[in-house]
Amino acid sequence: MIVVVGLSHRTAPIGVREKLVLDAAGLPDFLRALVQRPELGEALLVSTCNRVELVAAGRSGFDSDLEQVAKACVEALDVHSPGIAPHLYRHVGGAAVRHLFRVAASLDSMVLGEPQILGQVKEAYELARKAGTVGSVLHRTLPRAIRAAKRVRTETAIGSGQVSVPSVAVDLTREIFGDLSGHTALLVGSGEMAEAVARLLKVGGAKVVVVGRTLSRAEDLANAVGGSALPWSALQQSLVDADVVVTSTSAPHFVVDYEMVSAARRARRGKNQFFIDLAVPRDVEPRIETLDGEFLYNIDDLSKVVSDTLSTRTREAASAEAIIGRAAEGYDRWADAEQATPTIVQLRARLSSALEEELSRSLRGKLKHLPEADRAALSKMLESAVNRLLHQPTIRLRQAALDRTQDSLSLEQLSAAVSELFAFDAELEAVSSPENALPESDTAVENSRLSLAPKARVVASRS
Amino acid sequence: MADIATIAFYFGVITYSVAATLFFMELLRKDGDGARSPWAPRLLALGGVLHATHVLTASLLSHVCPIDSLHFALSFSALIAVGAYLALRERLRLSALGAFIAPIALTFLVGAQFVGQSSEAALGVSRTLLMFHIAANVLGIGLFLIAGAAGSVYLLQEHRLRTKKRVAHRGSRLPPLDSLDTTTHRLLLAGFPLLTFGVVTGAVFSRQLTNPGGAESLRSLLGYATWILLAAVLVLRKTAGFSGRKAAYGTIAGVVCMLLVLLMYVVRSGGGGNL
Repeated sequence: MIVVVGLSHRTAPIGVREKLVLDAAGLPDFLRALVQRPELGEALLVSTCNRVELVAAGRSGFDSDLEQVAKACVEALDVHSPGIAPHLYRHVGGAAVRHLFRVAASLDSMVLGEPQILGQVKEAYELARKAGTVGSVLHRTLPRAIRAAKRVRTETAIGSGQVSVPSVAVDLTREIFGDLSGHTALLVGSGEMAEAVARLLKVGGAKVVVVGRTLSRAEDLANAVGGSALPWSALQQSLVDADVVVTSTSAPHFVVDYEMVSAARRARRGKNQFFIDLAVPRDVEPRIETLDGEFLYNIDDLSKVVSDTLSTRTREAASAEAIIGRAAEGYDRWADAEQATPTIVQLRARLSSALEEELSRSLRGKLKHLPEADRAALSKMLESAVNRLLHQPTIRLRQAALDRTQDSLSLEQLSAAVSELFAFDAELEAVSSPENALPESDTAVENSRLSLAPKARVVASRS
Repeated sequence: MADIATIAFYFGVITYSVAATLFFMELLRKDGDGARSPWAPRLLALGGVLHATHVLTASLLSHVCPIDSLHFALSFSALIAVGAYLALRERLRLSALGAFIAPIALTFLVGAQFVGQSSEAALGVSRTLLMFHIAANVLGIGLFLIAGAAGSVYLLQEHRLRTKKRVAHRGSRLPPLDSLDTTTHRLLLAGFPLLTFGVVTGAVFSRQLTNPGGAESLRSLLGYATWILLAAVLVLRKTAGFSGRKAAYGTIAGVVCMLLVLLMYVVRSGGGGNL
């Protein structure tokens, strides 16, 4: 199991959050230093504008004392950023898993359903993998969190639509014109939001023209958004050329009226035109909507789209929570079954080493005449024999780990019996450092356990 | 050969049905920004291949040229529509239109089975001219079917954007208005010469008939109405900027007239077609 220690926009103001900034370049060293601590075996750090979270597992894998691991994480973060400890939250075991899954699925984000967090979690995982601070626990946990988050995005509308007015405006523009390259956007007046819309349109490939009452200000804005400026007198002609018109002036009256648009429409030969009126009082006469091919969205219309999107996302959050709940339960079951792993590994190692010793003795003695191919075949045969012998015990041990009823022997009883029968106590060797980390995929993990190669002879201890 | 035709027909029906379902599911998907599944267009293409196999094998069995009978001509029109859609979908961002084209193809593939296979040549008109007449109409119908579907989607999308209702919900799944308008226009341009040829040759055949009857006259009238409506859409677009909603309405009206002509053929031919 894992622990999560960190802070987010929900628990700490920006003044506190900015204290815990870790630069990307120094992060691998920070993580490596963390796993040098006696309690910590694995660690990764999710760092975004709104949260910094340390996800860690103990040195003894699934059997670690998680409270100690959490304590070590708090200490490590407090050493890095003194005074931060009171603001840190801690999630341990199943709660930590649920928290991580919710974070990856953007259910804990400031903007519910925002898509960036999943990428940031993936990046954190990748960075930690490269730093060598991810072991068997996190290798199993992070992919599950990522899969659950993907399911949430596919099966619910949690990520649907846009949640900012400029993004909604540009989305609507695309619904009318598709590809924006080759289209002209006219910006009438200035204003932060209008500038943001213009920038997004420019990024989308549109040509941006700015018209202002003061040409110098229009030129400044045009330079800022990568467009060209025209004087106010060019407004009517600009309306003819523009496919998208963004207005944001402080005029107390309409600056674009029905007659202007009607005249421009004739010159445009009926081509669609989209007006985005961000001004209050409004700049564009609402009557233009009655003209065929003229679309008008004012700030209220756009805000309503944002509000509808947020409402949809909030409604979908319940379905998303259910998906996360099921994924976390699946993880819990898997983690329970994993408790049998140390016994299985010990058993396999004991059998493998015994057979290997016998085989190598025979190959040095009576069978020394055997060619290399036959030796390899013998080795393969013994490997298969171990697999067959351990198939049922492996299943029984895993079932015992999952079965919490009193009807059958418990995992502890079975493990004790196996330990007693095979005299594990005589040959115990602790191992759970990151360098013994298991491969990522389940198959690879199983394969590595089934292998008779010397490295698999490492014996895991049960604490 | 008969088995091949039958198998191709049934698998064609299944493939079109699955493709139509996938296209609709794509429209209903909740993650509007997610990548589109490639399976719907692939299955539609496979359906088209099976459809073509069915038409070719069945026409060989019947010793009828595929464009020489209403039975196969109807089926062939849908095939043309599928081909044109697959060719245009990427370029014009028309993916969502598949939700209309797949059911149309399915309807025409199945519906054609209920139309008699008797050759039109029996009417006593020039067989060669008749074949060109049917070929032109088949191609034209295929193109106009997509134009009609694009026009319908245009009206849906335009209504949604104009009324500002459910803008937050189903965005980005329907094609952009400009793409739909361009598609409608281009398909009308491509299909109009074929329609003109079909109408002219149809008029020649009508003259050759000794006693055309009321149904025949009504069919001719609807044929002319189709031509006039679509010609008006094209001319007004060029001269008076008649695009967008008005062009979509005009196109749909023209396509409805065309479908009525087809319906009259179907009614006249009666049932009884088989595989």
